[in-house]
Amino acid sequence: MKKERSLEYEDEKLILLTQKGKMKAFEILVNRYKKNAYFIALGLVGNSEDAYDLSQDAFVKVYRSINKYNGTSKFFPWFYTILTNLCKNHLKRQNVKKRYLSQETERQKLNSEAQNSSNSEEKLEKLALKEKLLEEIEKLPFKFKEIIVLKHFRDLSYKEISEVLEIPIGSVMSRLYYARKKLKESLKDFRE
Amino acid sequence: MNCEEIKNLMMGYIDGELSDEQKSLVEKHIEECEKCRDEYKSFVRIKEVTEDMRLADLKEDIWAGYWKGVYKRIERGAGWIFLSIGAIILLAFGMFEFIKSIIFDPSLSLIVKIGIFSLTLGVVILLVSILRERLFAFKKERYRDIER
Ligand SMILES: [Zn+2]
Repeated sequence: MKKERSLEYEDEKLILLTQKGKMKAFEILVNRYKKNAYFIALGLVGNSEDAYDLSQDAFVKVYRSINKYNGTSKFFPWFYTILTNLCKNHLKRQNVKKRYLSQETERQKLNSEAQNSSNSEEKLEKLALKEKLLEEIEKLPFKFKEIIVLKHFRDLSYKEISEVLEIPIGSVMSRLYYARKKLKESLKDFRE
Repeated sequence: MNCEEIKNLMMGYIDGELSDEQKSLVEKHIEECEKCRDEYKSFVRIKEVTEDMRLADLKEDIWAGYWKGVYKRIERGAGWIFLSIGAIILLAFGMFEFIKSIIFDPSLSLIVKIGIFSLTLGVVILLVSILRERLFAFKKERYRDIER
């Protein structure tokens, strides 16, 4: 998992310090997980402003309920539940039709990529395929979308995913199988 | 190993999560079973396409200001909570005193008392509603920290 370790302190130790009112400890914790939080939210809601906002909201929520944390579970799975609940509510509220690729930033990124590449046909085809794939990921039911986000966008190991989602590794694999199968099917007509 | 059992292992194979023993099980099956071989190939393709598919990163200064943003929200949230508690206490106290004075005022008729009572209630409801709206507007303003 990509953590920005700024100190040797474990997450659980930092929470303990936060509970004692040490704001600096919470700052370290936030900086350690901000990228994970943002990119997971981005993968789930597909909009960078909302993702930024939701990820910060999740940290505020964690801070407000920091005294409820009793150390029996790890920090990140706890945080992840709070974050994804916020994302789920956001998606429900918005009844989101926004797409990853209607996002200015994503479009620009893909466009500049297209220009940088020597415009070889293969590259362009790959680009179009990416676009289609993002669209299909967005359409997946939540529990399959989240597993794709964790594996493909954050590159977590099966063990890490199973910890975060609190499911056995067998379920990680079967969810991945289902999600990828869906994507595979939707790409079938794309190739023609 | 049948096709059903190989499905999950195939995921592990693609993601490099299997033991050598499990790997050879998958390899053996794929070699023998055309259906699974085809499936395997398209899974590999999806993996390849997503491999370099990264979501757009934010600018470094936005990351640098991330903690400040979280801190501001925590602080302001606390500010609003205290403000609301204070306002509610004062409002309730004021109402109580006001209503008490009306009820015990013999020079006012019952209908006037009811009128004043209902007027006060209306003002309080409106105040609470405005306060709530203000809180909501504050939530929306937080986007300022993000470059558009
Ligand atoms: Zn088979």
